[in-house]
Amino acid sequence: MSSTFPRLRPGRVLAALALAAALAAVFATADETCNSPYIANLIKGQEDYVYVWALGVEGLGDGSDKLVTVDVDPKSKTYGKVVSQVSVGGRGEAHHMGFTDDRRRIWAGGLSGTDIYVFDIATDPARPKLVKTIKDLGTKTGYVGPHTYYALPGRMLVQALSNDKDKGGVTGMALFNNNGDFIARYPMPVDKGGDGYAYDLAVNPSKNVLLTSSFTGSANYMRPLGDLIKDEAAMKRFGNTMVAWDLKAMKPTNVMAVPGAPLEIRWSLTPGANWAVTAAALTSKLWLVKQDAKGQWQAKEVATIGDPAKIPLPVDISITRDGKGLWVNTFMDGMTRYFDLSNPEAPRQTYEKHTGRQVNMISQSWDGKRVYITSSLLANWDKAGDDNEQFLRGFTWDGRELKQVFEVDFTKEKLGRAHHMKLGSKVLRVAYR
Amino acid sequence: MSARAILVTLSLSALGAAFTAAAAEDPRVLDFAPPSPGTYELHRIMRAPDEDVLDVDGRRERLSQLTRDRITLLGFIYTSCMDPEGCPLAYRVFAQLKDQIQATPALRDKVQLVSLSFDPARDSPSVMRQYAGSRREEDGGVRWLFLTTPSVKELMPLVEGFGQDVRYSIDRSSGRPVRQLAHVLKVFLIDRAGYVREIYTSTFLHPQSILADIQTLLMEPDGALPD
Repeated sequence: MSSTFPRLRPGRVLAALALAAALAAVFATADETCNSPYIANLIKGQEDYVYVWALGVEGLGDGSDKLVTVDVDPKSKTYGKVVSQVSVGGRGEAHHMGFTDDRRRIWAGGLSGTDIYVFDIATDPARPKLVKTIKDLGTKTGYVGPHTYYALPGRMLVQALSNDKDKGGVTGMALFNNNGDFIARYPMPVDKGGDGYAYDLAVNPSKNVLLTSSFTGSANYMRPLGDLIKDEAAMKRFGNTMVAWDLKAMKPTNVMAVPGAPLEIRWSLTPGANWAVTAAALTSKLWLVKQDAKGQWQAKEVATIGDPAKIPLPVDISITRDGKGLWVNTFMDGMTRYFDLSNPEAPRQTYEKHTGRQVNMISQSWDGKRVYITSSLLANWDKAGDDNEQFLRGFTWDGRELKQVFEVDFTKEKLGRAHHMKLGSKVLRVAYR
Repeated sequence: MSARAILVTLSLSALGAAFTAAAAEDPRVLDFAPPSPGTYELHRIMRAPDEDVLDVDGRRERLSQLTRDRITLLGFIYTSCMDPEGCPLAYRVFAQLKDQIQATPALRDKVQLVSLSFDPARDSPSVMRQYAGSRREEDGGVRWLFLTTPSVKELMPLVEGFGQDVRYSIDRSSGRPVRQLAHVLKVFLIDRAGYVREIYTSTFLHPQSILADIQTLLMEPDGALPD
């Protein structure tokens, strides 16, 4: 009989048992504030890496979409530096990514096609490897533009943004097992108020509910923003709904009217809270989703972000682990805002800072003391000239002030446009090899 | 007494205390009405992996031989696990399910429970026998198998095939591995054709929901029979 584990000496037994109990507190069932509750291993201490999924830029470096690993451990000699990069060999509007439930792999994709890239981050967290490309999303579903990768036990639920018929916003979700084998498809509802559009998804297992939001189709998001906003008909083709689903049955239960393209969905992580928030991009409003007295999920507008008349375009939100605070990034004005969510019925802005000429994604550490911001929205929607800053910026947050502590210039480093982020750690390893 | 015997004794004693404390708590209560059996679909997530396993008498058999012809609820455990959201929770839920299935004649001989150790270095067949206590007795009722593997070589295809994450941690200050097993609880529902049809974690491990899933499988046209 063999094992990678040495036998413990008697003197170590009690210590080992105590350690096991301590580990139980470390391996909780949520992520650094904004991921699937099924993800196995939280990083509750200092994260070592930020993985950045970057869009390739023609003529810049190899021009390919790539996963970039940045060292963010302040004690490291390579703090704030790129330690590795993995190109996928093409350019496909890299956008979002997500961990598998065991946090051993990252799934990432592009919005212009259907390919899904799977990276191994467990073998060497500092040097992810591309281990698989899933190519049958389109043929199995007719959906285009895989966007959200949401871990379910042993599976990945993928939310697409468009379809291969008219490149519009009517689309659906696809379910794969962790090996990348297709299991099922779930069309977004087009009846009972549903517009068929999709963007993000987020689950609350304790309520057996899945929430989805809605954006627009490939014909719009691949179009230059300047042209798009002049096209009155095209501007009507944005999502105006959220949908509550029976998670177990994967059937929609009710459609909620949320005008103006509701994007990211964040559940409060406080046990028993059972509410979620989202930001509507075009109307610049925060919405609260919770059950009414009859148990039906309802959405209501609860706050305004900046001056909606100036279309600041809220693009990402990040909720604190206690559900009492919310970061909001607005792309057009480059502002990062903090809302007090102590009363989710009436969020109140308490802080703002200009963090870049254009800002998109925002992520925070579990303790909220570190905040990371990237710059790119979409290749054809990013600003031009000097305003087209492309970066990952790291900040510290002491509850009063965001202080920038490092920057990786993605243009200078010839990496491309910095988009989605995930945090990584070298302290977790697979036991048996 | 050998170090191994001390470890086993202490682990099982502590485990017993954990079970006593857990049993004193109310069963997990669902905060929602689950869909009725047969009104939803349980997809074939993947084929269950297969390898040699050992029963409590040390007999070697293929896992597939032990799981065919019955709907199986399988959970990985290790006898020294102290995580209250891990093995003790699975044991408690399995015990509740055993009692409920026992009380339902239509299910009694169609369903079985399997606890499979992922710590073969410590969990020998005899340790698994101790861990099982009186629960493993078939006594004409619901079958509950307590299995281990001959070594890590046989364990690995099962751990990897099911996707059961097993980790150890690294002490940041020293950079050295902390050699203590840790895992996030997963329980697998396997149909009689050998396909995994649902995977439960500690956040979704409710006997009421699991029973509904078992009934859903039995309501399928082929009753989830082998291909």
